[in-house]
Amino acid sequence: MTEMKSRGFLRDNGLSLVFGALFVATLVGQAISGTADFNAQQIAEGLEPVSFAEYVTSSSFGVDVMENWQSEYLQFFLFIYATVWLVQLGSTESKKPGEEGKETDKEQKVGRHADEDSPEWAKVGGWRTALFSRSLGTLMAVLFVLTWVASSVAGWAAYNSEQLSRREDPVTWPAYLAEADFWNRSFQNWQSEMLAVGSMAVFSVYLRHRGSSESKPVGVAHAQTGQSG
Amino acid sequence: MKGVKGVFVGYLVVILLGIAYVTALGLMGR
Repeated sequence: MTEMKSRGFLRDNGLSLVFGALFVATLVGQAISGTADFNAQQIAEGLEPVSFAEYVTSSSFGVDVMENWQSEYLQFFLFIYATVWLVQLGSTESKKPGEEGKETDKEQKVGRHADEDSPEWAKVGGWRTALFSRSLGTLMAVLFVLTWVASSVAGWAAYNSEQLSRREDPVTWPAYLAEADFWNRSFQNWQSEMLAVGSMAVFSVYLRHRGSSESKPVGVAHAQTGQSG
Repeated sequence: MKGVKGVFVGYLVVILLGIAYVTALGLMGR
């Protein structure tokens, strides 16, 4: 396959750019509504309200952002790893039944089976091909760990400032990892991701969205697996 | 593919900066 001809930066990257812009817009929305919500609680507890700048540089804002990030990367990490070994008959999110596993070098176009335009690290073999063969799942796993740690550190600081405002003792970071606050924040985000992945996997069997890469072509049979429009 | 690589790197940079920023807020006890 030859390289697709560029149709200009914006059209070539529409999907990533639009979602990047939506990310920024919704993050601003979170910051504005978060400040208002935080101040409503401050006032209810007889404490001083904070400015917008103070709120977006607080660990309270930080943990609210990061607890959602970590669950997204957990979702993608699990989804990427699970779809190597598990299938869903009829789903666009699945390989065909019988293709479970890592597949042969020929099917994966690795080493001497690589095409002329295959990535260099798919051709060379050795540790570089081994690493490149796992790079997407590994990046998601690393980002999950980093974001989860970041959410625990910010959650710890936010928890301690609440403890102090109630004249209760602050806790150490390891002690925070055993607190219900940390696990409640983690699980409440995880459960929604698991439901979303399962929904996408099974809804795409019987339903269609004309023109979407996340859907089968409208007329394709329900039993047809791993085909996107 | 040059522009695509820029978007790829841009996403990574934003994510890593976000992680570093939130971790720093927590470590500073803000």
